[in-house]
Amino acid sequence: MQMPEPDAAIIARKRDIVAKLKTILPATSVVDSEEGCRAYDADGLSAYRQLPLVVVLPETVEQVAAIMRYCHGEGIKIVPRGSGTSLSGGALPLADAVLMAMGKFNRILDVDYDNRCVVAQPGVTNLAITHAVESEGFYYAPDPSSQIACSVGGNVAENSGGVHCLKYGLTTNNLLGIEMVTIEGEVLRLGGKHLDAGDYDLLGVMTGSEGLLGVVTEVTLRILQSPATRRALLVGFDDTAAAASAVGDIIAAGIIPAGMEMMDSLAINAAEDFVHAGYPRAAAALLIIELDGPEIEVDALIERVAALVNTAGASSIKISTSEDERMLFWAGGKSAFPAVGRISPDYLCMDGTIPRRALPDMMVRMASLSQTYGLRVANVFHAGDGNLHPLILFDANQPDELQRAEDFGADILRACVEMGGVLTGEHGVGVEKRDLMPIQFSEDDLKQQQRLKCAFDANHLLNPGKVFPELHRCAELGRLHVHHGKMPHPDLPRF
Amino acid sequence: MTADHPDNLNEMLSVIADAMADGTPLSVSGCASKSDWGYAIADARPVSVDRWAGIIDYQPDELILTVRAGTPMTEINKTLANKNQMLGFEPPDPSVLFAKTDISNKGSIGGVLATNSSGSRRLTAGAARDFLLGFEAASGRGERFRSGGKVVKNVTGYDLSKLICGSFGTLAIMDELTLKTLPRPEVSKSVLIPATDLAAAVRHIAAILATPHEPSAAAILPSDIVALASLDSSLDSSLDYGQMLAVIRFEGFAISVNDRVNAVLSLYPDGDSIDDAASQTLWQAIGNTALLADAAGDIWKLSCAPSAAPSVINALPDEWPLRYYADWAGGLLWLDVPTGDVTGTILRQALADHGGGFAQLIRDSGNTRSLVPPFQPLSSPQMALHKRIKAAFDPKGILNPGRMHHAI
Repeated sequence: MQMPEPDAAIIARKRDIVAKLKTILPATSVVDSEEGCRAYDADGLSAYRQLPLVVVLPETVEQVAAIMRYCHGEGIKIVPRGSGTSLSGGALPLADAVLMAMGKFNRILDVDYDNRCVVAQPGVTNLAITHAVESEGFYYAPDPSSQIACSVGGNVAENSGGVHCLKYGLTTNNLLGIEMVTIEGEVLRLGGKHLDAGDYDLLGVMTGSEGLLGVVTEVTLRILQSPATRRALLVGFDDTAAAASAVGDIIAAGIIPAGMEMMDSLAINAAEDFVHAGYPRAAAALLIIELDGPEIEVDALIERVAALVNTAGASSIKISTSEDERMLFWAGGKSAFPAVGRISPDYLCMDGTIPRRALPDMMVRMASLSQTYGLRVANVFHAGDGNLHPLILFDANQPDELQRAEDFGADILRACVEMGGVLTGEHGVGVEKRDLMPIQFSEDDLKQQQRLKCAFDANHLLNPGKVFPELHRCAELGRLHVHHGKMPHPDLPRF
Repeated sequence: MTADHPDNLNEMLSVIADAMADGTPLSVSGCASKSDWGYAIADARPVSVDRWAGIIDYQPDELILTVRAGTPMTEINKTLANKNQMLGFEPPDPSVLFAKTDISNKGSIGGVLATNSSGSRRLTAGAARDFLLGFEAASGRGERFRSGGKVVKNVTGYDLSKLICGSFGTLAIMDELTLKTLPRPEVSKSVLIPATDLAAAVRHIAAILATPHEPSAAAILPSDIVALASLDSSLDSSLDYGQMLAVIRFEGFAISVNDRVNAVLSLYPDGDSIDDAASQTLWQAIGNTALLADAAGDIWKLSCAPSAAPSVINALPDEWPLRYYADWAGGLLWLDVPTGDVTGTILRQALADHGGGFAQLIRDSGNTRSLVPPFQPLSSPQMALHKRIKAAFDPKGILNPGRMHHAI
């Protein structure tokens, strides 16, 4: 992975930069020792590591603004970081950049049941939002698997999803407002406790922008009343195509389950060895289907779903009769990653999305790629929305296995796009999928996205080297090309 | 000037190139059903995407619909209804509010998205912007570009779908659009609860939203508006319709809806419920702003924190011949207020004093929009950012310049 060439002049000025940052922040909030910086050298994509120039730990919006103003004025790059759980390298440090870690922004500011929202600082963890409101029966819907550790600010940057997004949406659908600081150090408030501000939807643009457009310093999140009941089905199939079409049948019948997870044979057996949840070991595919809502509705629909999967050719059906049993059904799915970790020294977790009807073709393709690369792959799949999580098993101690695993992963993502899907459903592009962007987007598509970046950050100081495979200078991106020989005002000098 | 009707995106790129060459702005429309919303575009060449109509792909079991931007809403609604699906954000029918003698239609999907028009289910299901998954468009640079995808879960690149929704055609001209669809509920019923005043009504709704009974929409109708809804003729009820009502809608499978309606009525013994047909008629009137369609004054739309609605309404001058009702649990206020610029200033001040929000002039019965900005004015750093974004997509200011704000 090629990162932008570090600016030697900035690195040479480290001592001055640290001294200046210590006038903005308490000295203890500026980490410049190699030992101190080591704790920040990677995020959840730990194959990539880089020591930052310096780490800053601001705790007020004024401090964030002052750091941004200073860095903007001096041409120093900034990499924002939440809890560092990104699986795509979104918070990977740069050798010549200030790493801005938002962990000290850790307070919930306002729990507002009248307006069904929580105002929190960005370093608060995802799960802490639910914990703050569950006594009144509320919860925060987006539930990325890292929710115990990941921060809500990071969730905004990555537009995090989770198991329940088909029914409840991603972060972008559950975010009412933010306070953010621009690279110039300007503080902006977007949205709030009201809906739909009526100007350009900058809140929507910021969500999922992977730290390239601004630093979030406060979030306003929509909370929902918890459903009265949750029940789950565990359904085995002898054939992946039948499992995929069962999912389609359920949705076509007008039922939107709260969650629908699919696992393939390797994942089923790894999980069963690990948690003994009673999974059907012989099945080619396993569906975990969860319904939530009023009790009378869930009880009625669970029978309907059972009938649908039966007609679709299920080889085994279990319906949860208690909360413990429901949790047990999920235990395997939720522990799929550590379970696979037990059967392989290392694994890479991919994250593409395909139209669900392409799933049988994709399984065939993956099996053939698995042979080509000589590496096993286990599949965990958010079946309702077509979000694949192939886990590629490899051993980093074997020469070239990491490279082979990465090439395998890239081929899977190419296949996702070829089958009508996308490179990433919920993990983000970061550095991991950066160089694959031209598979999904044309040069004009990518340039238009980068022009938006230029509107926020004309000098590419915020998180450069992420998302876009090529950094174009903003002046170059702004240039108009000649259309059909008709350049407006051809006599005027330009740039 | 007669409108251009390019047949396809390539022809539109030519139209844009011509406009860039001679500096003539384009006034872009679909069905032109909402053309009175915002500023008129001065000295512009009209261009319409009304020929870009048709369903490209519809996969009901994947909840995916791909259409061209000029496709009439009537066609989309019919196609989805055939598979028992719908657009979850309940796009309003603008023909009631914007009825004109020469144009009376229900709009195009491109127009719905360009104006981010969402109806009553916005409270629980999201806005138009939450349902656009990807698009292809022509920028004001005369270039074709794509964003997003054709799957429901995707975080690849910036979410330009959000930006394009509600940008009123000022950034790009949308062509192919991919939307998320939802199953159409089997049944819809509503509970009507009498309220002594707006504050009490907002409290009733907040209390019901804090139960697991999952309402899909919640409105508040003052007694004069209840009278317009001609509810009493549509049902046999013991409820007194001479008072303010909180109206809470429950949707879904029949067995569940009946159960939830009964559960809520047991909490509010003085309430009553209306059945599917009456409920649907009432919510169409609420969502389409039909209840204020005969307004003599200007129609404004205010968005505020739901709990702030009573304070905002109380802050308005007593002498105004004010008519209003609330949707989105109190968070959306529709007002029929005296025409003129003073009104806008007062409305915006009332919002600023009570937690913020926005006030938009939707229908101008006089000359108001020449006196007061129809869209909520932006702070100067926000406007600076808006201008830079406009320039990133439309550097020559060719596309609908000034439709929202003079500077963009």
